[in-house]
Amino acid sequence: MSIQEKVDDYKKMLALFPNAQEKYQYLIEQAKNSEDFPEELRIDEFKVNGCQSQVWLVPEEKDDKLFFKSDSDALIAKGLVTLIASIYSNEAPGDIANSNIDLMEEFDLGVILSPARRNGAFSMLKTIKEVSQKLAD
Amino acid sequence: MIKVSDLKKDFPIFDREINGNRLTYLDSGATSQKPNLVINEMSNVYTNINANVHRGTYVLSSETTAKYEDVRNKFKEFINAYSSDEIIFTKGCTEGFNFLANSICKDLSPGDEIILSEIEHHANIIPWQMAADKYNLKIKYINITESFDLDIDHFESLLNSKTKVVSIVGESNMSGMLPDIKKLNSLIKEKTDAIYIVDGAQLVPHRKIDVQDLGIDFICVSGHKMLGPTGIGVVWGRKKLLEKLDPVYGGGDMIEEVFYESATWAPIPHKFEAGTPPYVEAIGLGAAVDYLTKLDMKNVEKHSDELRIYAKNKLESIDGLNVVHTSSDIAGCTFAMSVEGVHATDVSLMLDTFGVAVRAGHHCVQPFHRKLNLDATFRATGYIYNDEEDFDILSNAIKESIKLLT
Repeated sequence: MSIQEKVDDYKKMLALFPNAQEKYQYLIEQAKNSEDFPEELRIDEFKVNGCQSQVWLVPEEKDDKLFFKSDSDALIAKGLVTLIASIYSNEAPGDIANSNIDLMEEFDLGVILSPARRNGAFSMLKTIKEVSQKLAD
Repeated sequence: MIKVSDLKKDFPIFDREINGNRLTYLDSGATSQKPNLVINEMSNVYTNINANVHRGTYVLSSETTAKYEDVRNKFKEFINAYSSDEIIFTKGCTEGFNFLANSICKDLSPGDEIILSEIEHHANIIPWQMAADKYNLKIKYINITESFDLDIDHFESLLNSKTKVVSIVGESNMSGMLPDIKKLNSLIKEKTDAIYIVDGAQLVPHRKIDVQDLGIDFICVSGHKMLGPTGIGVVWGRKKLLEKLDPVYGGGDMIEEVFYESATWAPIPHKFEAGTPPYVEAIGLGAAVDYLTKLDMKNVEKHSDELRIYAKNKLESIDGLNVVHTSSDIAGCTFAMSVEGVHATDVSLMLDTFGVAVRAGHHCVQPFHRKLNLDATFRATGYIYNDEEDFDILSNAIKESIKLLT
Protein backbone atom coordinates (compact mmCIF):
# COMPACT_ATOMS: atom_id res chain seq x y z
CA MET A 1 0.00 0.00 0.00
CA SER A 2 1.37 3.44 -0.87
CA ILE A 3 1.84 6.22 1.65
CA GLN A 4 -1.10 8.07 0.11
CA GLU A 5 -3.35 5.00 0.40
CA LYS A 6 -2.39 4.46 4.04
CA VAL A 7 -3.07 8.12 4.81
CA ASP A 8 -6.47 7.84 3.07
CA ASP A 9 -7.32 4.74 5.12
CA TYR A 10 -6.49 6.43 8.41
CA LYS A 11 -8.39 9.50 7.29
CA LYS A 12 -11.51 7.38 6.73
CA MET A 13 -11.01 5.67 10.08
CA LEU A 14 -10.54 8.90 12.04
CA ALA A 15 -13.57 10.47 10.34
CA LEU A 16 -15.70 7.81 12.05
CA PHE A 17 -15.04 9.45 15.41
CA PRO A 18 -17.25 12.48 15.87
CA ASN A 19 -15.16 14.43 18.38
CA ALA A 20 -11.65 15.04 19.69
CA GLN A 21 -12.15 12.84 22.74
CA GLU A 22 -13.06 9.76 20.69
CA LYS A 23 -10.19 10.42 18.28
CA TYR A 24 -7.80 10.55 21.25
CA GLN A 25 -9.31 7.30 22.55
CA TYR A 26 -8.59 5.72 19.18
CA LEU A 27 -4.96 6.91 19.42
CA ILE A 28 -4.73 5.53 22.96
CA GLU A 29 -5.89 2.15 21.63
CA GLN A 30 -3.23 2.30 18.94
CA ALA A 31 -0.67 3.03 21.67
CA LYS A 32 -1.82 0.17 23.86
CA ASN A 33 -1.80 -2.30 20.95
CA SER A 34 1.59 -1.22 19.64
CA GLU A 35 4.61 -3.51 19.62
CA ASP A 36 6.86 -3.48 22.68
CA PHE A 37 9.67 -1.00 22.30
CA PRO A 38 13.15 -2.37 23.18
CA GLU A 39 14.42 -0.66 26.33
CA GLU A 40 17.94 -0.27 24.90
CA LEU A 41 16.61 1.98 22.11
CA ARG A 42 15.19 4.50 24.55
CA ILE A 43 18.24 6.72 24.14
CA ASP A 44 18.86 10.34 23.22
CA GLU A 45 20.07 9.41 19.72
CA PHE A 46 16.53 8.33 18.79
CA LYS A 47 14.66 11.04 20.68
CA VAL A 48 12.52 13.41 18.62
CA ASN A 49 13.17 17.01 19.60
CA GLY A 50 10.32 19.47 19.93
CA CYS A 51 7.70 17.22 21.54
CA GLN A 52 6.08 18.06 24.88
CA SER A 53 6.52 14.44 25.96
CA GLN A 54 9.45 12.15 25.21
CA VAL A 55 9.13 10.51 21.80
CA TRP A 56 11.53 8.01 20.22
CA LEU A 57 11.65 7.04 16.55
CA VAL A 58 14.10 4.36 15.41
CA PRO A 59 14.62 3.79 11.68
CA GLU A 60 15.70 0.37 10.36
CA GLU A 61 16.58 -0.42 6.77
CA LYS A 62 15.57 -3.86 5.43
CA ASP A 63 15.66 -4.88 1.75
CA ASP A 64 15.85 -1.25 0.55
CA LYS A 65 12.81 -0.34 2.61
CA LEU A 66 12.56 1.70 5.79
CA PHE A 67 10.80 0.55 8.95
CA PHE A 68 10.21 2.62 12.08
CA LYS A 69 9.97 1.52 15.69
CA SER A 70 8.46 4.14 17.98
CA ASP A 71 7.55 4.95 21.55
CA SER A 72 6.55 7.78 23.87
CA ASP A 73 6.06 8.22 27.60
CA ALA A 74 2.68 9.87 26.89
CA LEU A 75 -0.18 7.74 25.57
CA ILE A 76 -1.73 10.09 23.01
CA ALA A 77 1.69 10.99 21.57
CA LYS A 78 2.54 7.28 21.47
CA GLY A 79 -0.67 6.59 19.54
CA LEU A 80 0.17 9.36 17.12
CA VAL A 81 3.75 8.26 16.57
CA THR A 82 2.58 4.63 16.17
CA LEU A 83 0.20 5.78 13.45
CA ILE A 84 2.87 7.89 11.75
CA ALA A 85 5.42 5.04 11.96
CA SER A 86 2.95 2.63 10.36
CA ILE A 87 2.26 5.04 7.48
CA TYR A 88 5.95 5.42 6.65
CA SER A 89 7.16 1.88 7.43
CA ASN A 90 7.74 -0.62 4.62
CA GLU A 91 8.34 2.23 2.15
CA ALA A 92 11.35 3.12 0.03
CA PRO A 93 13.40 6.05 1.39
CA GLY A 94 12.95 7.93 -1.90
CA ASP A 95 9.16 7.59 -1.75
CA ILE A 96 9.12 8.91 1.84
CA ALA A 97 11.43 11.77 0.96
CA ASN A 98 9.21 12.74 -1.98
CA SER A 99 5.93 12.43 -0.06
CA ASN A 100 4.01 15.50 0.99
CA ILE A 101 4.62 16.26 4.64
CA ASP A 102 1.32 18.14 4.87
CA LEU A 103 -0.73 15.01 4.11
CA MET A 104 -1.49 14.34 7.73
CA GLU A 105 -2.95 17.76 8.34
CA GLU A 106 -6.05 16.32 6.64
CA PHE A 107 -6.52 14.02 9.65
CA ASP A 108 -8.45 16.62 11.63
CA LEU A 109 -6.81 15.65 14.88
CA GLY A 110 -7.43 18.99 16.52
CA VAL A 111 -4.71 20.57 18.59
CA ILE A 112 -2.25 17.69 18.29
CA LEU A 113 -2.06 18.07 14.52
CA SER A 114 -2.63 21.77 14.08
CA PRO A 115 -0.62 23.32 11.26
CA ALA A 116 1.58 25.09 13.82
CA ARG A 117 5.11 24.22 12.85
CA ARG A 118 6.25 23.93 16.44
CA ASN A 119 4.16 20.99 17.46
CA GLY A 120 5.32 17.46 18.17
CA ALA A 121 3.66 15.79 15.17
CA PHE A 122 5.59 18.04 12.82
CA SER A 123 8.84 17.12 14.59
CA MET A 124 8.05 13.41 14.16
CA LEU A 125 7.36 13.86 10.44
CA LYS A 126 10.47 15.99 10.00
CA THR A 127 12.62 13.28 11.63
CA ILE A 128 11.19 10.64 9.27
CA LYS A 129 11.76 12.85 6.23
CA GLU A 130 15.34 13.66 7.24
CA VAL A 131 16.29 10.00 7.76
CA SER A 132 14.73 9.08 4.41
CA GLN A 133 16.35 11.96 2.57
CA LYS A 134 19.82 10.93 3.81
CA LEU A 135 19.30 7.33 2.63
CA ALA A 136 17.76 8.40 -0.67
CA ASP A 137 20.67 10.73 -1.53
CA MET B 1 -17.44 41.27 46.41
CA ILE B 2 -16.84 39.78 42.98
CA LYS B 3 -19.85 38.28 41.22
CA VAL B 4 -18.28 36.10 38.57
CA SER B 5 -21.41 35.67 36.43
CA ASP B 6 -21.67 39.46 36.00
CA LEU B 7 -17.93 40.02 35.64
CA LYS B 8 -17.61 37.39 32.89
CA LYS B 9 -19.78 39.56 30.64
CA ASP B 10 -16.86 42.00 30.46
CA PHE B 11 -14.68 39.31 28.85
CA PRO B 12 -15.84 38.53 25.31
CA ILE B 13 -13.79 35.33 25.05
CA PHE B 14 -16.18 33.56 27.39
CA ASP B 15 -18.77 33.56 24.60
CA ARG B 16 -16.67 30.87 22.91
CA GLU B 17 -17.38 27.18 22.97
CA ILE B 18 -14.50 24.70 23.02
CA ASN B 19 -15.12 21.19 21.67
CA GLY B 20 -18.85 21.74 22.21
CA ASN B 21 -18.42 22.80 25.85
CA ARG B 22 -18.42 26.14 27.63
CA LEU B 23 -14.89 27.49 28.02
CA THR B 24 -13.41 26.67 31.43
CA TYR B 25 -10.27 28.77 31.34
CA LEU B 26 -7.86 27.84 34.13
CA ASP B 27 -4.57 28.99 32.64
CA SER B 28 -4.37 32.59 33.82
CA GLY B 29 -0.99 31.78 35.35
CA ALA B 30 0.24 31.67 31.75
CA THR B 31 -1.82 34.62 30.57
CA SER B 32 -5.05 36.27 31.64
CA GLN B 33 -8.06 36.96 29.44
CA LYS B 34 -8.81 40.58 28.52
CA PRO B 35 -11.84 42.67 29.39
CA ASN B 36 -13.56 44.87 26.78
CA LEU B 37 -12.16 47.92 28.58
CA VAL B 38 -8.60 46.92 27.60
CA ILE B 39 -9.50 45.75 24.07
CA ASN B 40 -11.51 48.89 23.35
CA GLU B 41 -8.91 51.25 24.78
CA MET B 42 -6.19 49.81 22.54
CA SER B 43 -8.52 49.93 19.57
CA ASN B 44 -9.33 53.54 20.45
CA VAL B 45 -5.66 54.52 20.33
CA TYR B 46 -5.18 53.02 16.85
CA THR B 47 -8.51 54.37 15.63
CA ASN B 48 -8.42 57.90 16.99
CA ILE B 49 -5.16 59.19 18.39
CA ASN B 50 -2.23 57.08 17.21
CA ALA B 51 1.13 58.86 16.87
CA ASN B 52 4.58 58.16 18.25
CA VAL B 53 5.14 59.34 21.81
CA HIS B 54 7.60 62.00 23.03
CA ARG B 55 8.45 63.17 19.52
CA GLY B 56 5.67 65.01 17.82
CA THR B 57 4.64 68.63 18.25
CA TYR B 58 1.15 67.97 17.01
CA VAL B 59 -2.20 67.07 18.57
CA LEU B 60 -2.11 63.30 18.02
CA SER B 61 1.36 62.83 19.44
CA SER B 62 0.63 65.02 22.40
CA GLU B 63 -2.58 63.06 23.17
CA THR B 64 -0.86 59.68 22.87
CA THR B 65 2.07 60.88 24.99
CA ALA B 66 -0.28 62.16 27.68
CA LYS B 67 -2.15 58.84 27.79
CA TYR B 68 1.10 56.85 27.83
CA GLU B 69 2.69 58.89 30.60
CA ASP B 70 -0.53 58.81 32.60
CA VAL B 71 -0.19 55.01 32.87
CA ARG B 72 2.88 55.64 35.03
CA ASN B 73 0.69 57.61 37.43
CA LYS B 74 -1.95 54.89 37.42
CA PHE B 75 0.67 52.23 38.13
CA LYS B 76 2.29 54.35 40.81
CA GLU B 77 -1.08 54.50 42.60
CA PHE B 78 -1.71 50.81 41.97
CA ILE B 79 1.40 49.64 43.83
CA ASN B 80 1.83 52.76 45.98
CA ALA B 81 5.23 53.72 44.57
CA TYR B 82 6.89 56.88 45.88
CA SER B 83 6.92 58.51 42.45
CA SER B 84 5.74 57.82 38.91
CA ASP B 85 9.37 58.23 37.75
CA GLU B 86 10.05 54.90 39.44
CA ILE B 87 7.76 53.08 36.98
CA ILE B 88 9.88 51.68 34.14
CA PHE B 89 8.05 50.10 31.21
CA THR B 90 9.52 46.83 29.91
CA LYS B 91 8.34 44.14 27.51
CA GLY B 92 7.43 42.00 30.51
CA CYS B 93 8.84 40.35 33.58
CA THR B 94 11.53 38.49 31.64
CA GLU B 95 12.93 41.70 30.20
CA GLY B 96 12.66 43.24 33.66
CA PHE B 97 14.92 40.58 35.16
CA ASN B 98 17.36 40.74 32.27
CA PHE B 99 17.59 44.51 32.69
CA LEU B 100 18.11 44.29 36.45
CA ALA B 101 20.59 41.39 36.30
CA ASN B 102 22.71 43.12 33.65
CA SER B 103 22.60 46.52 35.21
CA ILE B 104 23.08 45.53 38.87
CA CYS B 105 25.69 42.78 38.41
CA LYS B 106 27.97 44.99 36.33
CA ASP B 107 28.83 46.92 39.50
CA LEU B 108 29.39 43.87 41.73
CA SER B 109 32.77 42.31 42.62
CA PRO B 110 33.88 38.76 41.77
CA GLY B 111 32.73 36.36 44.49
CA ASP B 112 29.67 38.43 45.42
CA GLU B 113 26.55 36.37 45.97
CA ILE B 114 23.04 36.31 44.56
CA ILE B 115 20.31 34.45 46.41
CA LEU B 116 17.39 32.88 44.55
CA SER B 117 15.05 30.09 45.63
CA GLU B 118 14.68 26.54 44.30
CA ILE B 119 11.20 27.26 42.98
CA GLU B 120 11.97 30.31 40.80
CA HIS B 121 10.63 30.77 37.28
CA HIS B 122 13.38 30.50 34.66
CA ALA B 123 13.01 34.26 34.07
CA ASN B 124 14.37 34.77 37.58
CA ILE B 125 17.19 32.24 37.16
CA ILE B 126 18.69 32.46 33.68
CA PRO B 127 19.43 36.23 33.62
CA TRP B 128 21.29 35.84 36.95
CA GLN B 129 23.17 32.77 35.69
CA MET B 130 24.25 34.72 32.60
CA ALA B 131 25.35 37.71 34.66
CA ALA B 132 27.07 35.46 37.24
CA ASP B 133 29.07 33.82 34.46
CA LYS B 134 30.08 37.18 33.06
CA TYR B 135 31.09 38.82 36.36
CA ASN B 136 32.24 35.76 38.37
CA LEU B 137 29.41 35.90 40.87
CA LYS B 138 27.99 33.04 42.91
CA ILE B 139 24.32 31.99 42.96
CA LYS B 140 22.83 30.28 46.00
CA TYR B 141 19.36 28.72 46.16
CA ILE B 142 17.07 28.73 49.20
CA ASN B 143 15.67 25.25 49.90
CA ILE B 144 11.98 24.61 49.46
CA THR B 145 10.44 22.49 52.22
CA GLU B 146 8.39 19.33 51.76
CA SER B 147 5.27 21.43 52.16
CA PHE B 148 6.41 23.59 49.22
CA ASP B 149 7.34 26.67 51.24
CA LEU B 150 10.56 28.66 51.62
CA ASP B 151 12.92 27.23 54.23
CA ILE B 152 13.44 30.43 56.23
CA ASP B 153 16.19 28.95 58.44
CA HIS B 154 18.12 27.96 55.37
CA PHE B 155 17.56 31.43 53.91
CA GLU B 156 18.95 33.06 57.03
CA SER B 157 21.99 30.81 56.91
CA LEU B 158 22.74 31.96 53.35
CA LEU B 159 22.77 35.67 54.18
CA ASN B 160 26.21 37.17 54.68
CA SER B 161 28.27 40.24 53.83
CA LYS B 162 28.84 38.95 50.28
CA THR B 163 25.09 38.76 49.56
CA LYS B 164 24.37 41.61 47.13
CA VAL B 165 21.11 40.55 45.49
CA VAL B 166 18.14 38.55 46.76
CA SER B 167 15.56 37.85 44.07
CA ILE B 168 12.59 35.72 45.08
CA VAL B 169 9.18 34.93 43.68
CA GLY B 170 6.30 36.86 45.29
CA GLU B 171 3.71 34.19 44.46
CA SER B 172 4.84 30.83 43.09
CA ASN B 173 3.46 29.89 39.67
CA MET B 174 3.76 26.26 40.69
CA SER B 175 2.87 25.76 44.37
CA GLY B 176 0.99 29.00 45.04
CA MET B 177 3.49 29.76 47.83
CA LEU B 178 3.31 33.37 49.07
CA PRO B 179 6.51 34.17 50.96
CA ASP B 180 6.25 36.66 53.81
CA ILE B 181 7.87 39.51 51.90
CA LYS B 182 8.06 41.90 54.86
CA LYS B 183 9.76 39.28 57.00
CA LEU B 184 12.25 38.42 54.24
CA ASN B 185 12.92 42.12 53.72
CA SER B 186 13.71 42.68 57.43
CA LEU B 187 16.05 39.67 57.48
CA ILE B 188 17.86 40.92 54.39
CA LYS B 189 18.16 44.50 55.62
CA GLU B 190 19.25 43.34 59.08
CA LYS B 191 22.07 41.12 57.89
CA THR B 192 23.20 42.51 54.53
CA ASP B 193 23.22 45.56 52.28
CA ALA B 194 21.69 43.50 49.48
CA ILE B 195 19.04 44.62 47.03
CA TYR B 196 15.74 42.74 47.39
CA ILE B 197 13.86 42.08 44.17
CA VAL B 198 10.41 40.51 44.09
CA ASP B 199 9.17 38.54 41.09
CA GLY B 200 5.68 39.99 40.93
CA ALA B 201 4.48 38.14 37.80
CA GLN B 202 1.83 36.15 39.71
CA LEU B 203 1.65 38.30 42.83
CA VAL B 204 0.65 41.68 41.42
CA PRO B 205 -2.38 40.40 39.42
CA HIS B 206 -3.81 38.72 42.52
CA ARG B 207 -2.99 40.75 45.60
CA LYS B 208 -2.98 44.34 46.84
CA ILE B 209 0.64 45.48 46.75
CA ASP B 210 2.12 48.42 48.60
CA VAL B 211 5.82 48.64 47.81
CA GLN B 212 6.42 51.28 50.49
CA ASP B 213 4.90 49.09 53.16
CA LEU B 214 6.77 45.99 51.96
CA GLY B 215 10.08 47.84 52.08
CA ILE B 216 11.46 46.05 49.03
CA ASP B 217 13.82 47.56 46.44
CA PHE B 218 12.47 46.33 43.10
CA ILE B 219 9.49 44.43 41.73
CA CYS B 220 9.07 43.02 38.22
CA VAL B 221 5.54 42.89 36.82
CA SER B 222 4.02 41.26 33.75
CA GLY B 223 1.15 43.15 32.07
CA HIS B 224 -0.52 40.26 30.29
CA LYS B 225 -1.03 38.26 33.47
CA MET B 226 -3.07 41.12 35.00
CA LEU B 227 -5.66 41.63 32.21
CA GLY B 228 -3.33 43.77 30.10
CA PRO B 229 -1.92 43.03 26.66
CA THR B 230 1.25 41.08 25.92
CA GLY B 231 4.53 42.91 25.31
CA ILE B 232 4.27 45.25 28.29
CA GLY B 233 5.45 45.00 31.85
CA VAL B 234 6.81 47.16 34.61
CA VAL B 235 9.88 47.31 36.76
CA TRP B 236 9.37 49.39 39.85
CA GLY B 237 12.50 50.39 41.74
CA ARG B 238 13.51 52.87 44.39
CA LYS B 239 14.41 56.19 42.79
CA LYS B 240 17.88 56.36 44.33
CA LEU B 241 18.75 52.87 43.11
CA LEU B 242 17.36 53.51 39.62
CA GLU B 243 19.36 56.71 39.36
CA LYS B 244 22.56 54.79 40.12
CA LEU B 245 21.91 52.03 37.58
CA ASP B 246 23.17 52.29 34.01
CA PRO B 247 20.81 51.59 31.13
CA VAL B 248 21.17 48.27 29.34
CA TYR B 249 19.67 49.32 26.01
CA GLY B 250 20.85 52.37 24.07
CA GLY B 251 19.00 54.22 21.36
CA GLY B 252 16.49 56.97 20.76
CA ASP B 253 14.49 58.59 23.54
CA MET B 254 16.82 57.54 26.39
CA ILE B 255 19.44 60.25 25.93
CA GLU B 256 19.98 63.82 26.99
CA GLU B 257 22.81 64.72 24.59
CA VAL B 258 24.60 62.67 21.97
CA PHE B 259 28.06 63.35 20.55
CA TYR B 260 30.02 61.24 18.10
CA GLU B 261 32.21 60.01 20.95
CA SER B 262 29.72 59.69 23.80
CA ALA B 263 26.28 60.44 25.16
CA THR B 264 24.57 61.41 28.38
CA TRP B 265 21.42 59.71 29.64
CA ALA B 266 17.97 61.17 30.11
CA PRO B 267 16.69 61.17 33.70
CA ILE B 268 14.71 58.17 35.00
CA PRO B 269 12.43 56.61 33.86
CA HIS B 270 13.28 57.42 30.24
CA LYS B 271 16.95 56.43 30.37
CA PHE B 272 15.79 52.81 30.61
CA GLU B 273 13.30 53.02 27.72
CA ALA B 274 15.29 53.15 24.49
CA GLY B 275 13.44 53.39 21.19
CA THR B 276 9.75 53.64 20.51
CA PRO B 277 8.08 52.04 23.51
CA PRO B 278 5.07 49.73 23.19
CA TYR B 279 2.87 52.70 24.02
CA VAL B 280 -0.41 51.14 22.84
CA GLU B 281 0.28 48.12 25.04
CA ALA B 282 1.17 50.45 27.93
CA ILE B 283 -2.13 52.30 27.48
CA GLY B 284 -3.87 48.89 27.41
CA LEU B 285 -2.15 48.07 30.69
CA GLY B 286 -3.43 51.38 32.07
CA ALA B 287 -6.99 50.25 31.24
CA ALA B 288 -6.29 46.92 33.00
CA VAL B 289 -5.16 48.86 36.08
CA ASP B 290 -8.37 50.91 35.90
CA TYR B 291 -10.43 47.71 35.71
CA LEU B 292 -8.68 46.09 38.68
CA THR B 293 -8.76 49.31 40.70
CA LYS B 294 -12.51 49.59 40.15
CA LEU B 295 -12.94 45.99 41.29
CA ASP B 296 -10.69 46.85 44.26
CA MET B 297 -7.62 44.66 44.76
CA LYS B 298 -8.85 43.78 48.25
CA ASN B 299 -11.83 42.07 46.57
CA VAL B 300 -9.55 40.39 44.03
CA GLU B 301 -7.48 39.03 46.90
CA LYS B 302 -10.53 37.83 48.83
CA HIS B 303 -11.91 36.12 45.73
CA SER B 304 -8.58 34.38 45.11
CA ASP B 305 -8.38 33.18 48.72
CA GLU B 306 -11.95 31.84 48.78
CA LEU B 307 -11.61 30.13 45.42
CA ARG B 308 -8.28 28.59 46.45
CA ILE B 309 -9.73 26.97 49.56
CA TYR B 310 -12.64 25.53 47.56
CA ALA B 311 -10.36 24.31 44.77
CA LYS B 312 -7.82 22.82 47.17
CA ASN B 313 -10.44 20.69 48.94
CA LYS B 314 -11.99 19.65 45.66
CA LEU B 315 -8.70 18.65 43.99
CA GLU B 316 -7.14 16.99 47.02
CA SER B 317 -10.15 14.69 47.31
CA ILE B 318 -9.57 13.15 43.86
CA ASP B 319 -8.20 9.59 44.07
CA GLY B 320 -4.83 9.16 42.44
CA LEU B 321 -4.22 12.89 41.97
CA ASN B 322 -1.02 14.33 43.39
CA VAL B 323 -1.43 18.06 44.10
CA VAL B 324 1.70 20.23 44.46
CA HIS B 325 0.43 23.03 46.67
CA THR B 326 1.80 24.84 49.68
CA SER B 327 0.40 23.86 53.07
CA SER B 328 0.29 27.49 54.20
CA ASP B 329 -3.02 29.11 55.08
CA ILE B 330 -2.45 31.94 52.64
CA ALA B 331 -1.47 31.10 49.08
CA GLY B 332 -2.19 31.74 45.44
CA CYS B 333 -4.96 29.88 43.58
CA THR B 334 -2.43 27.78 41.66
CA PHE B 335 -2.31 23.99 41.58
CA ALA B 336 0.30 21.91 39.79
CA MET B 337 -0.89 18.31 39.56
CA SER B 338 0.24 14.90 38.42
CA VAL B 339 -1.22 11.41 38.16
CA GLU B 340 1.05 8.43 38.79
CA GLY B 341 1.79 6.66 35.51
CA VAL B 342 -0.04 9.21 33.35
CA HIS B 343 1.73 11.92 31.38
CA ALA B 344 0.66 15.50 32.09
CA THR B 345 0.19 16.29 28.39
CA ASP B 346 -2.26 13.38 28.06
CA VAL B 347 -4.33 14.78 30.92
CA SER B 348 -4.29 18.31 29.51
CA LEU B 349 -5.27 17.08 26.01
CA MET B 350 -8.16 15.13 27.55
CA LEU B 351 -9.21 18.10 29.68
CA ASP B 352 -9.32 20.21 26.51
CA THR B 353 -11.97 17.85 25.14
CA PHE B 354 -14.13 18.94 28.10
CA GLY B 355 -13.47 22.62 27.29
CA VAL B 356 -11.00 22.91 30.17
CA ALA B 357 -7.82 24.87 29.42
CA VAL B 358 -4.85 24.10 31.68
CA ARG B 359 -1.15 24.17 31.06
CA ALA B 360 1.03 21.04 30.88
CA GLY B 361 4.80 20.98 31.14
CA HIS B 362 7.33 22.27 33.62
CA HIS B 363 5.85 25.82 33.66
CA CYS B 364 9.37 27.27 33.33
CA VAL B 365 10.23 25.75 36.73
CA GLN B 366 12.27 22.82 35.45
CA PRO B 367 14.87 22.50 38.26
CA PHE B 368 12.14 22.18 40.90
CA HIS B 369 10.22 19.61 38.82
CA ARG B 370 13.48 17.67 38.60
CA LYS B 371 13.88 17.87 42.36
CA LEU B 372 10.38 16.37 42.78
CA ASN B 373 11.22 13.66 40.21
CA LEU B 374 8.47 14.90 37.95
CA ASP B 375 8.95 15.32 34.20
CA ALA B 376 5.91 17.49 33.94
CA THR B 377 2.74 18.52 35.74
CA PHE B 378 -0.52 20.01 34.56
CA ARG B 379 -1.49 23.23 36.24
CA ALA B 380 -4.76 24.99 36.97
CA THR B 381 -4.78 28.63 38.03
CA GLY B 382 -7.86 30.60 39.02
CA TYR B 383 -8.48 34.30 38.51
CA ILE B 384 -11.24 36.87 38.93
CA TYR B 385 -13.45 35.35 36.20
CA ASN B 386 -13.26 31.83 37.66
CA ASP B 387 -15.67 30.46 40.21
CA GLU B 388 -16.47 27.26 42.07
CA GLU B 389 -18.27 25.86 39.03
CA ASP B 390 -15.02 26.03 37.04
CA PHE B 391 -13.27 23.87 39.62
CA ASP B 392 -16.26 21.48 39.73
CA ILE B 393 -15.96 21.08 35.96
CA LEU B 394 -12.18 20.65 36.24
CA SER B 395 -12.53 18.10 39.00
CA ASN B 396 -15.08 15.98 37.06
CA ALA B 397 -13.01 16.29 33.88
CA ILE B 398 -9.88 15.12 35.73
CA LYS B 399 -11.73 12.09 37.07
CA GLU B 400 -13.05 11.22 33.59
CA SER B 401 -9.62 11.79 32.03
CA ILE B 402 -7.93 9.50 34.55
CA LYS B 403 -10.48 6.80 33.66
CA LEU B 404 -9.82 7.23 29.94
CA LEU B 405 -6.06 7.24 30.34
CA THR B 406 -5.51 4.33 32.72
